Amino acid sequence: MSQDIILKINGLRAGIEGKEILKGVDLTIRKGEIHAIMGPNGAGKSTLSSVLSGKPQYTVTSGSIEFMGKDLLAMSPEERSWAGIFMSFQYPVEIPGVSITNFMKTAINSRREAMGLEPMKAAEFLKLMKEKMSFVQMKPEFSKREVNVGFSGGEKKRNEIFQMAMLDPTLAILDETDSGLDVDALRIVASGVNALHTPDKAAIVITHYQRLLEYIVPDVVHVLKDGKIVKTAGRELVAQIEENGYDNY
Amino acid sequence: MVNSSYTVPQNTHESVQLVLSDTSSGTQSIAGEYILERDSSLDIVIVVLPGASVQLPLRIILKGEGANVNVSGIYLCPGSEKVKLSLDVVHQVPHCSSSQLFKGIVSAESIVDFYGKIVVEQDAQKTEAYQENHNLLLSDQAKVNTKPQLEIYADDVKCSHGATVGRLDEDAQFYMRSRGITLQQAKALQMLSFVSPVLSRLVKDKESIVLSVEKAIQTISSSLQ
Repeated sequence: MSQDIILKINGLRAGIEGKEILKGVDLTIRKGEIHAIMGPNGAGKSTLSSVLSGKPQYTVTSGSIEFMGKDLLAMSPEERSWAGIFMSFQYPVEIPGVSITNFMKTAINSRREAMGLEPMKAAEFLKLMKEKMSFVQMKPEFSKREVNVGFSGGEKKRNEIFQMAMLDPTLAILDETDSGLDVDALRIVASGVNALHTPDKAAIVITHYQRLLEYIVPDVVHVLKDGKIVKTAGRELVAQIEENGYDNY
Repeated sequence: MVNSSYTVPQNTHESVQLVLSDTSSGTQSIAGEYILERDSSLDIVIVVLPGASVQLPLRIILKGEGANVNVSGIYLCPGSEKVKLSLDVVHQVPHCSSSQLFKGIVSAESIVDFYGKIVVEQDAQKTEAYQENHNLLLSDQAKVNTKPQLEIYADDVKCSHGATVGRLDEDAQFYMRSRGITLQQAKALQMLSFVSPVLSRLVKDKESIVLSVEKAIQTISSSLQ
C-alpha cells in the first residue's frame, strides 16, 4: 500500500564536483522497516546519506526521491528535518561557542515556528532535555558543553542519538554510526536507536561492517557497490558478507 | 574629538565601557590614554554597533609593578562603516600583565583597520602580554587590515599575538540545518557565539547591550545571501 511508503528513491544519479558517484539507485522503505546499506569504501554510501539530507555540495543529475509522498529534492536541509528526516553524522561537526542547550532549543523552536506554533515553554524544554539525555546516559553537565567541542568519539555519537531522540524523526539515517565506537558506546547508541524505533517509523543503517547490525537488526539488507544497489536480501545477507566480503557482488 | 588621560591609582580597580552606535553625522574620534599605577587593574570593553564609524586610538601605560589591564572589544560593521582601532600597550615595569581581545564582523562595504602594538621595555621583566584580533569577513567588498606588532626589549617575558580573518563555517551551517535550524538562524548563532567571549566581559548594562548586539546580528544574518 502506497501510504505505507516512507521513502521512495527512483533512478537516483548524483555526484559531487562533476563526478558521478550514484549511478541509478532504487530503494523503497516502508513503515516499521530497518534497512541496512552495506558496501565497500567508495561505493557511494556517504553520497547517498548526503543527498538524502540535502548537503549543498552534492548535485542530483537525475531520478527522484519521495519522502512521505513529497518531493524531497525540492526541500532545503531544514525543511527535510521539519518533515521528519534525521541523519546521524559520521563526523559530527564542532560548533564552538554554542551550547547543546542553545543548539537544541533553536532547533526545536525553528521547527515549531515553521509549523506555526509558539516557542516551547522553558520548563517543558528542560524536562524534555533531561529525559532524552538520561536516555543516552549523558550527564546533566553535558547540556552546557559546546556542541561536539572536545567530545570523544563515543560522546559525539551519543550526542547524535540524543538529538535524534529530541527531534523524534520518522526516518533516521545512521551514517557509519559505529565508526570510532567502543563496545559500551555502541550498545548505548544501538539501544537508543532501537527504543526510538516504532511501527510508524523507519531507519536506514549505513555501514561498512556488520558489527552494528548485531545490535540493530535490519529487516532488509542492501549491498551498494560502484554507485548501484547490486543485491537486496533479508538479514541473513549480513552473515554472508561477513564471511565472503564484497567481492562476489 | 574627545581626548583624555586617566590614571588608575595604586591598588584600585577600574572598569570602562564604551558603546558606540550611530555616528551618521560623521566619524567619531575618541583618543584616550590610561596610566596604571602599582597593583592597579583596568578592564576596558568596547562595543562598536552597526552604523558607527569611529577612530579609537588608545594608549595604555603600565607604569607601576603588578598592574593588569584587559582590553576587549567587538565591532559590527554591516554597511559602509569605517572603523579604525589602534592600541598601544606599553609595559614599562616588571610583573605586569595585559591582554587584548578584539572580534569583528565585517560585511558589505565596510572597512576595518586594527593596529595593536605591545611594547615591553627593557626593565619590564616577567611581563605577560597577549593580543588577539579575529574577524569574520562576510562580503567580497568589505576589507579588514589587521596589523599586530610586538616590540620586546626584555628577555624574560611571555608574549603572544594572533590575528585571523575568516568566513562562517559551512559544514557547521549544514549540521545545524540538518537539525531544523534555518540557514539564517544558523548564521546568527555562529556570529553570536563568535562575539560572546567579549560580551561575557561586560559589567554594566549587560542585558541591554547584549540585546542590541543580538538584534544587530539578526539583521546582519538576514541581509546575507
